[in-house]
Amino acid sequence: MVKGTITVNNKSGLHLRPASELAKIAGKLTSEITIVAGDKKVNPKSVLILMSAGIKKGTTIDIICEGENEEADLKTMLDAIASGLGEGTE
Amino acid sequence: MKKWEVKKTASKGYAIGPAYVVKKQEVTVDTASISAEQVDAEISRFEAAVEKAQADLAELAQDNAIFAGHFALAGDIAIHDGVVGKIKDELMNAEAALMQVKDEYVVIFESMDDEYMRERASDMKDVSKRLLFALKGIDDNPFAAMKEKSVIVAQDLTPSDTAKMNMDLVLGFATEEGGVTSHVSIIAKNMAIPCLVGVGPMLGDVETGMTMILDAGKGEIFLEPDETMVALYKEKAEKFEAFQKELEELSTLPSETKDGHGFMLCANVGNIEDIKYATQFQIEGVGLFRSEFLYMENDHFPTEEEQFEAYKEAAQLLGGKELTIRTLDIGGDKELDYYEFPKEENPFLGYRAIRMCLDQTDIFKTQLRAILRASAFGYIRIMYPMMISMDELTEANHLLEVCKAELKQEKVAFDEKIQVGMMIETPAAVMMAEEFAQKVDFFSIGTNDLTQYFLAVDRGNQKIANLYNSFNPAVLRAIYHTIQAGHRHNTKVGMCGEFASDEKASKLLLGMGLDEFSMSAGEVARVKYQLRGCTFEVAQKLADAALKLDTADKVLELLENS
Repeated sequence: MVKGTITVNNKSGLHLRPASELAKIAGKLTSEITIVAGDKKVNPKSVLILMSAGIKKGTTIDIICEGENEEADLKTMLDAIASGLGEGTE
Repeated sequence: MKKWEVKKTASKGYAIGPAYVVKKQEVTVDTASISAEQVDAEISRFEAAVEKAQADLAELAQDNAIFAGHFALAGDIAIHDGVVGKIKDELMNAEAALMQVKDEYVVIFESMDDEYMRERASDMKDVSKRLLFALKGIDDNPFAAMKEKSVIVAQDLTPSDTAKMNMDLVLGFATEEGGVTSHVSIIAKNMAIPCLVGVGPMLGDVETGMTMILDAGKGEIFLEPDETMVALYKEKAEKFEAFQKELEELSTLPSETKDGHGFMLCANVGNIEDIKYATQFQIEGVGLFRSEFLYMENDHFPTEEEQFEAYKEAAQLLGGKELTIRTLDIGGDKELDYYEFPKEENPFLGYRAIRMCLDQTDIFKTQLRAILRASAFGYIRIMYPMMISMDELTEANHLLEVCKAELKQEKVAFDEKIQVGMMIETPAAVMMAEEFAQKVDFFSIGTNDLTQYFLAVDRGNQKIANLYNSFNPAVLRAIYHTIQAGHRHNTKVGMCGEFASDEKASKLLLGMGLDEFSMSAGEVARVKYQLRGCTFEVAQKLADAALKLDTADKVLELLENS
């Protein structure tokens, strides 16, 4: 199991569009992935569940990956969030 | 043959061809359980529906971010697992399982403390409806079966309906409900498609494929006319088209009356596409660029950068011609998917337009900065909507100055002499026009709202539709008062309501001294033809006479006989 920490910086937080982008990316990965935001633990492979966590701009989240490709998958997730999920950061 | 007549018409022209009837879909979900043997089949059925819905959404998502989100939701594993779980464990049918899962998430979203998130409940509902239609095998595009050029017949048409239409196949529109300012009317007018709205009950008689004649100018519809009628109207249509062509040729001549009095003809536009369309006509600028589309076609408040790009493109498309950007006019009947307006008793008298902008200054400043930055790329004018007091103008201008100072400090280029004007659409603005005129560069009279507010008549209310009349002497005098007040202080006065292009009103408004007429681009040539054909002197006399009359009927009678 590996864990990484990142601050969500895209301008509108994990709203529908960026959440669906992230879910699309997570869905292609083989690891079991969990995003921990405050007291919420969510599966980023679901847009609905991801959105229901209500992650806003500036929220620091932990990403936990578990599986054969956990290192690479964690990096993919962190890079995706850092890039602003197709929205750019501000 | 059956005939319908419509009093108020929204556009001109003739449409002759087969009818295409749009029927509203109603879906019921039965809750019958399935047997254990049916489980696998039911799951496959659901998965096939997801595939079908996603195939449709993939196409829509190409140029729409909201549909891109819906695409992701439709295939979401939480929905999938929820539905499959209910089919397996509770032996529910796929439709019933889907509705339960939808309800669960709708409750979750609606109880969230973030307004944007609460609004996502509607995405969930939309997507489930699409999935439900796919499960039931109902085509949710009511125009999918339209293969030949047709006259569209419907109860009413919403923006999402018209978005699904292949406009190349639309000969004309006839709707049972709606008014001349409703969505379909405006679309039709912009695209110069014959359209009759508020026709009354038709769907009981009309069937897809029946021959129809639409005379949009006169307001007549004929169902299953005989051959002589069809021939007669085909001839009329040809003559009309020839006349339209003549108008186009005329439109290259200057906008002035026979005795040399000049006026400006501009277009009202709602987005970049409209501007591209409008520039094909001989317009002298854009008198009204509704900035709402940037907010309404998005899933978040548009950023400064997004707005800047749009305004810049608009300014560049117009070359050096005037581009009047009306700042955000939201609220009333215009809502946003991602922002919940407080529930109000009277939204038209409530938290909207400049009121909201002066309350949420971040939103307003983002827009002002974007407009200012774009002003370096063309001739942009700023226009505030819904003003009722000098305080609002002072406050708005103060924020504009703050934005200018910020940009200067950031060394960002903008037009330092950018013109600032305001809409005259409230009785308060009319009464204070003298004072306002000393503080702004231009006025633009918004007759749709002005008529509604001046007469206290809800323009969407069918029952009092006959009271909504811009020829009411009270409205005409308000317009005249505004023009007079403006001119006393060298403030140009324009009009960006439907009234500016009204066949009976244009000459009257010219006579009152109106400087700029802004309208649907398709109307410009006709108004130009009409106004070039008269002298300013005659128009002034007509205005003098009309302003002395005490009823709308008398005014109309005078105008018809002039």
